[in-house]
Amino acid sequence: MVAHPGNARAVRTAGRLNEPRPARVEANFDGTPWQVNHQPVVVIREEWRVLDRWWTEDPVVRRYFELVLETGENTVVFHDGAGGGWFTQRGA
Amino acid sequence: MFPVIACLSIPSFELKAAIRKRPAVAVRPAALAPEPDEDGRVGPVNAAAEAAGVQPGMRLGEALATCPALVLVEPDPAAAELAWEEIVQSLEDAGFSVEPATAGVAYFETRGVERLYGGLDAALRRALAAVGSGWDGRIGAAARRFTALAAASVARPAQVLVVRDEEASAFLSPLPLTLLPLERQRYEELEALGVRKLGQLAGLPGGAVAERLGPDGRRAWSLARGGTTAAVRGRRPPAELAETLEFPEAIGNELTLRRALGALVDTALARPERRDRFVRKVALSARLVGGGSWRRALTLREPSAEADRIRVALAPKLADLPAPVVELRLELVELTEPAGRQLELLAAGAEDRTRLREGLRQVRASTGSGSVCTVVEVAPWSRIPETRALFVPRDD
Repeated sequence: MVAHPGNARAVRTAGRLNEPRPARVEANFDGTPWQVNHQPVVVIREEWRVLDRWWTEDPVVRRYFELVLETGENTVVFHDGAGGGWFTQRGA
Repeated sequence: MFPVIACLSIPSFELKAAIRKRPAVAVRPAALAPEPDEDGRVGPVNAAAEAAGVQPGMRLGEALATCPALVLVEPDPAAAELAWEEIVQSLEDAGFSVEPATAGVAYFETRGVERLYGGLDAALRRALAAVGSGWDGRIGAAARRFTALAAASVARPAQVLVVRDEEASAFLSPLPLTLLPLERQRYEELEALGVRKLGQLAGLPGGAVAERLGPDGRRAWSLARGGTTAAVRGRRPPAELAETLEFPEAIGNELTLRRALGALVDTALARPERRDRFVRKVALSARLVGGGSWRRALTLREPSAEADRIRVALAPKLADLPAPVVELRLELVELTEPAGRQLELLAAGAEDRTRLREGLRQVRASTGSGSVCTVVEVAPWSRIPETRALFVPRDD
């Protein structure tokens, strides 16, 4: 965002890289995903949890899954334990 | 017509600048919160606080006891500096050569523009209009600098007060000693001697004052008699090149801030307005989480256009930051001409960089401003992926 075209002062807003994006995920009773954005999950390659910032008002509680979908695509999704909902994320 | 030195005064300027964007506070009694080195004394106060009995320089406890509803406003030096720069530039745009003294006080001469505006009063009115009505500015004018300052200090908001040279001593005589730039202890010393007005001090023999109060006292005595007629030295307008980076969340980590500073330096140096000039003076400021601000200026030992050199000079300043930062700003305050330093004829990799820059320019031309970004790694160790790196738009 540039403040004024004739002015030599500029304001740039930095964005976050690899922001989580909401995903449509169907999960089994044990919380593992079996479908992501209408694509069936073939393999769960890895699973891990991230608990961070528990000392703040916005703690991060996430359960990550690295998956291979039926299309052959590799993807990482997580379930947000603090706010609820499923997200996909690159760079995880 | 006598030569005129005009003085613009905006009382409580720092406070007004700090609450400019908080109109709700402006109508309540407010004072600038004490700075750490001010011995717990409040700074400037607004009219509502003054009406409630709060005086600038009062101890915090006393001020709150006098006016329990007093709002303490965090100092915002960056906002004050920016606002003051806007005011000085407005005066310069109106044709005045301005010599800023402190934030809220500036001297200027009217001789060059009196004919343009139709006389002294009209020129001073024009200056007041350039400042704008929101600041309660007032202008004093006289043949001597201190008399002009005294006139501006006693004028009402939006008033222009001209003191002719022959009226100067009669004008200054009943004014309080607090107009003089003296330490608190000196005022008390003079008051104990029964000297409370400028006229009383001016009436004393200069030698006796110097003997009793030293060089400061002698200078105050000289000012009480009108001061010198030293001409106004208009400033050289500073270079207007600044880059600001807003963070998605408050950043307190020094390493992250160093990387953000690096991105700012690169972007600022790549701005076409710099036109290959070297940087002589830089300033780094930050907006802090919670509303305050922070600013440090630095004159480089040798003018430079090397990003690394500027980064290395500024990075240690980041350790002084008192709180996490929501916005970091780099200003190239003073630029010099590209003479005096021998550069390499052809820097290594210059051709690749030129081709890359040209390619990016084409991408930008087809996709629009802000489409090309630099990725700045800020916390690569973080377990939360989206906090590891930021992307910063670049238009160079």
